[in-house]
Amino acid sequence: QRLRAAVHYTAGCLCREVAEDKGVQFSKQSIAAIAEITFRQCENFARDLEMFARHAKRSTINSEDVKLLARRSNSLLKYITQKSEEIASSNMEQKEKKKKKSSASKGRRTSEEQEAAVSESEDSNM
Amino acid sequence: RGSSGSLQHKSALFSCVTGPKQVHGRENWSLSPEEFEVWDRLYRIKESDGVKEPVLPRTKFETLENLDETSKPEEEAAHQLSLSEWSLWQNRPFPTSMVEHSDRCYHFISVMEMIEVMRQEQGDCSYELELQPHLRIEDVCGGRSKSRLPTTSS
Repeated sequence: QRLRAAVHYTAGCLCREVAEDKGVQFSKQSIAAIAEITFRQCENFARDLEMFARHAKRSTINSEDVKLLARRSNSLLKYITQKSEEIASSNMEQKEKKKKKSSASKGRRTSEEQEAAVSESEDSNM
Repeated sequence: RGSSGSLQHKSALFSCVTGPKQVHGRENWSLSPEEFEVWDRLYRIKESDGVKEPVLPRTKFETLENLDETSKPEEEAAHQLSLSEWSLWQNRPFPTSMVEHSDRCYHFISVMEMIEVMRQEQGDCSYELELQPHLRIEDVCGGRSKSRLPTTSS
């Protein structure tokens, strides 16, 4: 429930951005439905990612597995691939500068949110 | 028809290997003249049928640049298969034959049921009220990094 609450809160924030952008309003119920869909979608993602990694004889999920989630749509795949390259290059810069240990902090908020949720939900599944 | 056709297709292939007999065009991926005749007569949609050609809706992302082929203008004359027209029926599992419902499908059904329940609600949202006590601010963007989300005023 704690995880659900976090997803719900974040869905609310994102919906508010969209609402301002488009000049529409989201009912509380529609935000709740989007949050629940997102939460459940994370289960789908987590299961798929785990299988993709295992298929490649890995136990660690990497960005290639995440790209594989987006394989069915060219637009989505292109977007994810671009983001992944951006993250990789910013990681390289960070390593060169040796300023920060934390990686991938410049990723798109939602994708990181999803990945974080995915890893957490995986933990809770075990 | 499809499965039995492919079975026959296989046996035709095997007989082709064992002995080059009269194989009536079945080793091809395409229809044989006889199959084409049957398809043309029984299944093919023609203008005289008075029904539109069925097409599936294409993927389109509202928030991304869309690379995929733009829809052909003639698709207006086709029957777009709808995935939301019968949403009121989708809050319970539909019967299955050989393939069971996936987890993904059950997720979908549960959410449709949740939406159905919330449809009666006015104003406050039960989902929100139920989850609010569980929210820890360190789990969400407001707690993790302020630089990324400017809308942390709440």
